[in-house]
Amino acid sequence: MAAVLDKPRTVAPGRRAAKRRFKRPTVGAVVVYVAAAALAVLWLLPLLWALSTSLKPETEASLGQDIHWIPQDWSLEGYRTLFERGDHLTWMINSTIVSTIVTVLTLVLCVLAAYGFSRFDFPAKNVIFGAIIAGLMVPGQALIIPLFDLVNDLRLSGTYWGLALPQVVAPVMVFILKRFFDAIPRDYEEAAKLDGAGHLRVLVSVIVPLSGPIMAAVGIFTFIGSWNNFLWPLLVATDPSMMTLPVGLGVVSGGYGLFYAQNMAAAVLGALPLLVVFLIFQKQIVNGVAGVGLK
Amino acid sequence: MTVKTEAPAAAPAAVPRPPTAPNPKRRSWTGLWFVLPFAAFYALFLVYPTFLGLFYSFTDKSLTGRPASWVGLDNWAEALGDERAWDALWNTAVFTLYSTPPLVVLAIVLALLVNRARRIGWFLRMAFFAPFVVPVSVVTMIWIWIYQPTGGLLNHYLQLLGLQDPAAPTIWLQGETTAMWSVVITTVWWTLGFNFLLYLAALQTIDPNVYEAASIDGAGWWRQTAHLTLPLLKRTTGLVVVLQLIASLRIFDQMYLMTAGGPNRATEVAIHYIYIAGFEGYRIGYASALSYVLFVLILVVSIVQFRLFSRKEA
Amino acid sequence: MPNPPSPPGALSRRALLTGTAAAAGLGLAGCGSVSGGLSGRTRVKQWNLLAGSDGAVMTEMHDQFAAEHPDIELEATTFGWGTPFYTRLVMGASGGNASDIATIHLSRLKSVSPATLLDPITLDELTAHGLDPADFPEKIWEQCFAGDELYAIPIDTHALVNYYNRTVCEQVGVLNPDGTLLETHGVEEYLDLLRAVKEATGQYGTSLDTLGGWRQFWAWYRQADGEMTFGDGEYEMDDDKALQSIEIMYRMAEEGLCPTFADGGQCAANFENGAAGLVQVGNWEINRFKAFDQAQGLDFSMTEMPDFFGNRRTQGDCHSYVLPRHHSWDPEVREATLAYAAWMLRHSFRWGEGGGHTPAYLPVTESAEYQALQPNAEYSGVVQNVQFDPDVWFSGSAARLFDETGAIFNQVYGLAMTPDEALALVKERIQALLDLPNPVD
Repeated sequence: MAAVLDKPRTVAPGRRAAKRRFKRPTVGAVVVYVAAAALAVLWLLPLLWALSTSLKPETEASLGQDIHWIPQDWSLEGYRTLFERGDHLTWMINSTIVSTIVTVLTLVLCVLAAYGFSRFDFPAKNVIFGAIIAGLMVPGQALIIPLFDLVNDLRLSGTYWGLALPQVVAPVMVFILKRFFDAIPRDYEEAAKLDGAGHLRVLVSVIVPLSGPIMAAVGIFTFIGSWNNFLWPLLVATDPSMMTLPVGLGVVSGGYGLFYAQNMAAAVLGALPLLVVFLIFQKQIVNGVAGVGLK
Repeated sequence: MTVKTEAPAAAPAAVPRPPTAPNPKRRSWTGLWFVLPFAAFYALFLVYPTFLGLFYSFTDKSLTGRPASWVGLDNWAEALGDERAWDALWNTAVFTLYSTPPLVVLAIVLALLVNRARRIGWFLRMAFFAPFVVPVSVVTMIWIWIYQPTGGLLNHYLQLLGLQDPAAPTIWLQGETTAMWSVVITTVWWTLGFNFLLYLAALQTIDPNVYEAASIDGAGWWRQTAHLTLPLLKRTTGLVVVLQLIASLRIFDQMYLMTAGGPNRATEVAIHYIYIAGFEGYRIGYASALSYVLFVLILVVSIVQFRLFSRKEA
Repeated sequence: MPNPPSPPGALSRRALLTGTAAAAGLGLAGCGSVSGGLSGRTRVKQWNLLAGSDGAVMTEMHDQFAAEHPDIELEATTFGWGTPFYTRLVMGASGGNASDIATIHLSRLKSVSPATLLDPITLDELTAHGLDPADFPEKIWEQCFAGDELYAIPIDTHALVNYYNRTVCEQVGVLNPDGTLLETHGVEEYLDLLRAVKEATGQYGTSLDTLGGWRQFWAWYRQADGEMTFGDGEYEMDDDKALQSIEIMYRMAEEGLCPTFADGGQCAANFENGAAGLVQVGNWEINRFKAFDQAQGLDFSMTEMPDFFGNRRTQGDCHSYVLPRHHSWDPEVREATLAYAAWMLRHSFRWGEGGGHTPAYLPVTESAEYQALQPNAEYSGVVQNVQFDPDVWFSGSAARLFDETGAIFNQVYGLAMTPDEALALVKERIQALLDLPNPVD
């Protein structure tokens, strides 16, 4: 992890580094560093407070006790109770399954479609592409009512497919990938085709390897988006055994009531998976967000 | 359920362009086969529900599954005259009004700071962006705990700073005026990192020569920021505001989890009311009509956004 | 959100299987849950809304049931009390995907559209599991039907009661020589009692759930013989009697005799930590207070609601079992489900003792053992005095009438709304509910 974090992370490191000269820090610079660091710590306080609470025994964590950051009596009681109940783990596994289905299907479907739109001309192409672009403007949240009914009718409610499939439709990803594919020169493909490769072979062996960064960005953002999706799983994951982590924590945790250490242990464990993903893929995520503003 | 629109679009700058030898495209069916799987999903889970919802809005279809009948424009008439629906839209607007300024101003401030404090840049980026990847229910769990009227972290420090009378602690989430602010504060904490990164990226693309010229003219940091940097961030701000508008119109999770729309519906927002009408109230037909009202609103904002993007690309 | 807090273990403990089993199930991920179906036992999924301390008693009974039935895997889940639970039940049943059995309030039976969302239970099935219609109070049994079909099996009757801290009450001299609470008549007498108690506690006289105002309102309104009847787009209620009930809330809060805000958890905590000498809350908190008594000492007892308007009527309801609609029943699961329900009823002595509820199963309540149970005997009169909610599709525990008026009454306790304003708003909300098309029938 450290290696990842140590890497320079500016958008154009070469250019900046060349311009920078070593100078004695000015008063202004010190103020900036102190202010920035203080704000960053302030920003992390809620997460740290959750961590602190989760490591106290219930009696020390409960309301009416003094507010103190370092537990007087370190305890993993909250975490232990959580694991004994076991549902937290199930939800995490469900989230992983659903997000993986969504990510893999999104990548496969969107790459295929983007390649089709980028490289071929076919009947009704413009109509279909136009319709998909129009879909960019359809807010999924406004479709929950008919979508819920549809998934019920398909007998998919309360299944992984019911949770995942409606999340797969991501026109914006087709759009992004198509733009990227458009910019890839065709020479490579021509060479492959001369070797007798079919269209699918060309896509898999030429285009996909050239699209590593963009596919990583699409994949990571799809995964995060699906993992953190709340509204749709709230509707279709009826039984707790099918819930994803955000829904399980939000819906079933109503019962945690006054057990704050346990509650915060659940919060810490709930935050952990994606924080780890974020730390690992920090560069791709940061550049991905930056791409929105720079495109 | 489409994925967030604020998805990445990493510039394909790494690849040499433009394409050297444009492929003579032949009209054939081959391309359709590539597009078909996505198109099928798209038709089933986006196009069909869109029309299904429109159809339902003319019926009294119920979640209970009892037979539905055609009611013409009744639902639409009711929706347009439904005070609770307008209140929910108003609350959505209030949320937008409260949350957008801090989400813009704070993001700029943080980005400016981080842009100057580059040596700890990775740490700052991590600190400000980390909350964004935390699931919403975890965010709300933590903040509900922080907002506890007695014994909560926030009131504790407000009292320490002498900003609050310990005898009259602020009841954050159950107070009619404070509830919305509580959700706004939580949301700012949660989502600010995204805007912050947008601004930071924009700052880092500004040509350093611009500043050098300004330094020669004797402009200090403040003047540089006011006269050079901020005007250059205008386009990013436009983008942030539009993304914020769309996200705000769709807001639901935080309210559902933190206040359940209360107290006294002070934080009941549009999607929440659709949920209440359709699922808690069983009225699928009516909720479909409500959805369409919201749908049209989001569509308008999206078209504005689309315009903004196309103008920029032109 | 008015979710009463829950003790540890109120949640399903063995609800879900381990992760390894789940990971192994990845291949079957397509169809159902990763957990379950792998143990070879008959799995019965139960959903409940018992997030109060009665939930802990239910969990304890479930443990015993599981110990006696190794072939049945009971998977119980507690959802947030009220709307979150009912919404989930209806949404689940609409997709044929709810639990095998669920606990609901009998007052809500009609509101969950039994004809389309529940599966009826036959009398033969009941008798096969040793239950007989004659085992239940007739008044309650009749409410278990919709049309000619039986949809519910009653578990208990529960109601608002009045708990009192004997140490505090003795100090201010409001106890009888036998240690029971002095009986008061009329609002003024009771408020005097609260004032005396407030002197001793230094904070409140009584605690109550300010978010559950409908219950208090309905109890007092019914004590005054207030009626609420619903016709086609019209309703009748007695404004004067309603107003006098709401005024009690305002007066108590204004004088500081009760908290201006307390959710289920705080309401009970006020009583435990001595901030209030009495608490007007459901009999279901008995387990919580008993546990507190054991841990830190709390000498308390409980009695019926105070007489405000000539009697001691109280608001209440019945928990009951229903079977959410299934696309198809596995006969083994159905069998195990009913065996579970019947077992719970036969063992409902513990439900009464621990949960404070009065069991609906007469062989239990008529037993000498139950009749001698304290403090249950002290409030046994609630079964006669209990007042069920008015009969209309948006009425019943945690239904819209309950929720929407409750939010208003919360404002009254918070002194943010005068009784007159509150009454006007209550009437407005009722009319608005009536104007809604009925989505159930």
